[in-house]
Amino acid sequence: MKKEINYLTFIMAGIRNKPGRNLATIFCFAFIAANIFSGQYLISGAMRSVDQGITRMGADYIVAPVEYSVFLRGSGPDNTFAIVNTLPSIYRVKNNIMDTIGNVQGVSAMSPQLYVSTLNLPALSSSPVDVFGFDPKTDFAIQPWLRQPLKHPLDQGEIIVGHQINGEISSKVQISKYTYTIAGRLDPTQSGVDNSIFLRLDDAYNLAATEGIVNPLAPGISPGDINAVLVRIAPGENPDTVGANIRRSFSRIQITVIGRHFTLDPVSKDIEGLPLLLNSISVIIVVAAFPLIALIAAMVAHERQREIGLLKSMGAKKNVIFSLVIAESLFLAAIGGIIGVVASLITLNILNTQGILNSVLLVTFRMPSLTEIGSMAGLALLVVILIGSVASLWPAYQTSRMNPYDAIRNEGK
Amino acid sequence: MIEVSGVTKTFRTDCLEIQAVDDVHFAVQPGKFILIFGRSGSGKSTLLGMLAGLLRPTKGEIRINGVDISNLSDDKISELRAKEIGFVFQFSGLLPTVTVLENILVPTLFCKKSPGSRLRALELLKKVGVSDRADAYPCTLSSGEMKRVAIARALINGPSLLIADEPTGDLDVDTEYEIMELFRQLNREGTTIVMVTHNPDLIPYGTQTYCMERGKMVEKPGSSSFIKCEPGLDNHPKPKDLP
Repeated sequence: MKKEINYLTFIMAGIRNKPGRNLATIFCFAFIAANIFSGQYLISGAMRSVDQGITRMGADYIVAPVEYSVFLRGSGPDNTFAIVNTLPSIYRVKNNIMDTIGNVQGVSAMSPQLYVSTLNLPALSSSPVDVFGFDPKTDFAIQPWLRQPLKHPLDQGEIIVGHQINGEISSKVQISKYTYTIAGRLDPTQSGVDNSIFLRLDDAYNLAATEGIVNPLAPGISPGDINAVLVRIAPGENPDTVGANIRRSFSRIQITVIGRHFTLDPVSKDIEGLPLLLNSISVIIVVAAFPLIALIAAMVAHERQREIGLLKSMGAKKNVIFSLVIAESLFLAAIGGIIGVVASLITLNILNTQGILNSVLLVTFRMPSLTEIGSMAGLALLVVILIGSVASLWPAYQTSRMNPYDAIRNEGK
Repeated sequence: MIEVSGVTKTFRTDCLEIQAVDDVHFAVQPGKFILIFGRSGSGKSTLLGMLAGLLRPTKGEIRINGVDISNLSDDKISELRAKEIGFVFQFSGLLPTVTVLENILVPTLFCKKSPGSRLRALELLKKVGVSDRADAYPCTLSSGEMKRVAIARALINGPSLLIADEPTGDLDVDTEYEIMELFRQLNREGTTIVMVTHNPDLIPYGTQTYCMERGKMVEKPGSSSFIKCEPGLDNHPKPKDLP
């Protein structure tokens, strides 16, 4: 047996009755929602790109044995580089240099790295693979490049692989007598990191102790040996001063302190006007669309005078009529909002996968998280629903106060 | 019981004042079939609008079951309309966007929920003779069918008063006869009916008839415009073109 009639049946019937006009209204709402959502999506994605770029800048300084400088090489056209990892070097220091570095004012983070060896591992790569040890707990240089965050902190027997290393996540990798599990993969860095694997320092010492791993011509690796300490400077500190202080703090050990030569400042400046631009466009569209939607709502109310008069003659109270007009507008706004958000999400994803957003925004576009997308969609829906309800307030008020006798007799006059 | 005392309705525009209803007095006892007869513009529809609470009188008092509706708030009048008054318009008055059955059920939205309204709507459709059109949309109905559905809708909340404003004005003679018979049947079953018409042929249907002229209620027994019919007499007119 069918259900009894309810207000929703009634509202839906009203909407179905004028498909053309209601489609146009839905389109208006969809356009507004799409604009707000896209704007927020692009702003958030671009900001994430910059944030990630900054976190991926790695260390501000690398503190290494003085011989290290002869291995210094650049990764970009201007010989600029971001310090992500130490370079393959046989010169090592003991990890207690970190005690000294930690005492220097302005140092906010530091993490040791150890180059173990370069191995031919055909199962992993056609090129020789650099093997590094690092401390996952203090690391701030390697893990920001992870394509997907690790499910748990890197455990013993687990490794992180560079972009060009073969093997799926969770698959096993055999190096000498040890079997490791691939726990994470890095994004491309366009540097030697792409062809490297990273394991915990304790695993690195165990592997280094295995015969045939470390070049017999190089000094052996003992626990506590490291090749370099990556150092990050606290925000607001003068990098030159902190670098000089690190140098001065090592009077008896000969170390070198190498600073990075790459900055994201120009990129940040390029996109700093983006939020303002996109938000301004959204505001202009909302302001321009509001009277249009209000006009449509007023037209609908006028057109339905007779219907409203009939409802009142049947006993509909003012608040019922008011609610019906508002509810119809809200319904159209919600439908339009959902369509707008979904359509723009699909379009933005297509543009992103085609790389178009990267070239337009001049940065590597990072898709916002699902939570962020959810809140942006919520914001867009909230705005269109607010517009819908506010725009129909006056027509709803007028309609609800309409005299039923006049409404029935004067329709269309 | 309806009591109308000294009711006047004046419409004012910038340069014009029209006294549509002028100092009207009358009473309607429960179970009566009141016919208000008059020419177009005589004020009968305005009077009906005031009886239904759709218009407020400029002066005077209208009491329905003892309640003076002239001074009730809009919401109270709406409540009263939903419970106590069924209205049948000259035009079909059906909502084009919903089916016949849904049209009949619309007034139940404005009354306190009573279970079984759908069943009652189906019974009413059967009673008015259009039970086969329950799922049809109004645009597919004939004028007579529309009127029958409108009557069923007016009765769905079980009103004590049925008001009809020229309900046969747009119908052919045969259909007019059928609709008037339906009204008579409803009246015999106890529904109080107040109907206005400009058609003198319908006067015999009323158990009590009033005439309106230029906003005034005229009751002149014996005059051509006033006929009082005794209930129970088979004095309704037959369609002139029937064999």
